[in-house]
Amino acid sequence: MNPWRIAAVATKETKEVLRDPITVGVALLMPLIMLLLFGYAITLDVDDITLGVLDEDRTPTSRQLTEAFTASGVFHLERELTDPHAMERALQRGEIHLALIIPPGFERTLARHEPSPVQLLVDGTYSATATLVSSHAFAIASGFGHAAGPPALQLETRVWYNPSLSSVHTVVPGLYAVILMAFPPLLTALALVREKETGTIAQIYASPLSSVEFLAGKLIPYAIIAFVQMAMVIAVGFLWFGVPFQGSVTFLLTISLLYVLCTLGIGLLVSAVTRTQLVALLAVLIVTLMPSILFSGMLFPIFTMPYVVQLYTLAFPGRYFVDISRGVVLKGVGFEILWPSIAIVAVYTLLVFALAAWRLKKKVA
Amino acid sequence: MRLSSLLHKELIQFFRDPVVLFLIFWLYTIEVVICSYALGMEMRDLPLAVVDTDESPASRRLIDDFIAGGNFRLVAHLHDVAAAEPYLERGEAQAVLVIPVDFERELYRGGQALQFLVDGSNANTAAVARGYALQTVEAFRMHRGTLDERQLATVAAQLRTWYNPDQTNVGFTVLAMIALAGLMIGVVHPAASIVREKEVGTIEQLMVTPIRRGELFIAKTVPTLLIGLLALFPSLALVGWFGVPVRGSLPLFFALTALFLLSAIGLGVLVAAVSRTLQQALLLAFFGLFPLMFLSGTMVPVDSMPNLLQKLSLASPLRHYLDITLGIFLKGAGMEILWPHALALVAIGMPLYLAAWLIFRRWL
Repeated sequence: MNPWRIAAVATKETKEVLRDPITVGVALLMPLIMLLLFGYAITLDVDDITLGVLDEDRTPTSRQLTEAFTASGVFHLERELTDPHAMERALQRGEIHLALIIPPGFERTLARHEPSPVQLLVDGTYSATATLVSSHAFAIASGFGHAAGPPALQLETRVWYNPSLSSVHTVVPGLYAVILMAFPPLLTALALVREKETGTIAQIYASPLSSVEFLAGKLIPYAIIAFVQMAMVIAVGFLWFGVPFQGSVTFLLTISLLYVLCTLGIGLLVSAVTRTQLVALLAVLIVTLMPSILFSGMLFPIFTMPYVVQLYTLAFPGRYFVDISRGVVLKGVGFEILWPSIAIVAVYTLLVFALAAWRLKKKVA
Repeated sequence: MRLSSLLHKELIQFFRDPVVLFLIFWLYTIEVVICSYALGMEMRDLPLAVVDTDESPASRRLIDDFIAGGNFRLVAHLHDVAAAEPYLERGEAQAVLVIPVDFERELYRGGQALQFLVDGSNANTAAVARGYALQTVEAFRMHRGTLDERQLATVAAQLRTWYNPDQTNVGFTVLAMIALAGLMIGVVHPAASIVREKEVGTIEQLMVTPIRRGELFIAKTVPTLLIGLLALFPSLALVGWFGVPVRGSLPLFFALTALFLLSAIGLGVLVAAVSRTLQQALLLAFFGLFPLMFLSGTMVPVDSMPNLLQKLSLASPLRHYLDITLGIFLKGAGMEILWPHALALVAIGMPLYLAAWLIFRRWL
């Protein structure tokens, strides 16, 4: 292995990257756009649920119940409904998320201390919203009758690590894993496959470069880009979104370096097994981007997935990095807790590089 | 005649690449299956650690109630709070239920408080866990007779969920993933096929033939449309497999899918028109896909986005297509409800197409 040859390849690759404004622009702008979109769009906080009320009782008590809903700050009275048909239409059009139906005689039965039924109809199309809507609605409705006396049993909830239950604090650390999984593999895979597609790779094969030197040189500029992306995203998450950083920044950056290597390795492996850029792009989408969003636990908790899918999630390093970055950023824990995940990422990286080098060597030789 | 032979050539080229075919097939079926199994489930089995310092029949009944419904799964039964902390730190438990000493004795006297510690690092899970815990405690209170007569005067809330009675995500996920696959293929495929001709230089050869630009434009866009529509058939089989209801009209679904694909293709052609190399085109396509995906409601409900983003989301064809798809399959909506979305697709697709066409014409 000759460091000068590596440096030469790295210089050539850096020049090529810098000469292409679209690639540089996408590489630097995209993580920021993703961060802003994710940070603002992926609020799973439901705080403005549209409510439709079909009040067939029309008594002070039924109005009080409606007020109990709107006073909670979660529901916002979109409209008073006049008949079941109008209610159905409103739900179907998605104008309301929840319909509260108070039957005639509600006040009377309540005054007689009998259980008084009301109906809550939830639009279940978006089940994530529906679950939250129903638990809020259920709590308000069933709490309504209890105002009379002190409740005998109370549940005091305390939320750790993210007391305000803010989605941004959940999403941003998870996003570190996604962004580093989206770009480095894509850029490396495309860069290598392009040489194959345009035929310039044959020149490499003919040169005295060893495959390790070639790959190391190819990867260095992309590793730098990836690391800049990471630092940028951490800074914006911290400064703009105010995500509290409980643990050590240096520690997280060190681990991200390992993770960047891992994602570059995946890009390398993809490029080793594909021939055209279109195929490389689709393959990268399937093996890195989608799993890192869907199967990393970043948005959807892994424990709710069926066992077989849980096993499938083990195959994607994003999952471990989500645990690591949430652990460091939100929980303030360090190596003593996170070492199993870190070890897995390290082994994964070695494996990916070994596979890619083996595939490429076979071709070069 | 010229158009048909051009189309013929494009289709042959498409079907000759088995890897691309396989990957498209993967996106439209296998990815849909995996995601639907993985993300379709309602939130259950939340790992729960219990700290029972009372060890009384009442505390055991309460713990049983937490586990019985399947919302929580017991991962540890502990005797002091300090022992519970590492479970939260390592993420092995999402929540800890702390039952105080004298729980049973105080239960009938009022003023008893249970502690529920939740890992907030996933805000959504935490909110759901809190909701489940509230409901469980509520039910416990009702059934164990810890209420006096006066408090029994209660509102019995009957909760029903429409369009998706089990509150599972399966129907939604299947449909959202299919829509997503349509967008990816619709944008990426025409972009790649046009730029490839630029990069390898065959576009010059096409220019010296008597082919008109309009014909070339059509020949480059129609195959993607056809493939996008054909790919729906295996997807529809999946829709059946997962038991997603088809409450509305399938022909309407196909017609509106075509409209949606056209807007995606317009975007793909536009990307191809402004880029020189395939790498640029793919990166740009990617750049365009992301916001469209994120503002569409496939990942997170549009309703929970801030107002500005909700408005921006109206510009994403995927958002309208998702509403159309969910409307047709889950709600049985027809054109009388979906027309604003159809109109929006036209309004988004037309300018994209026009711009793509203008740029396309200029550089030919």
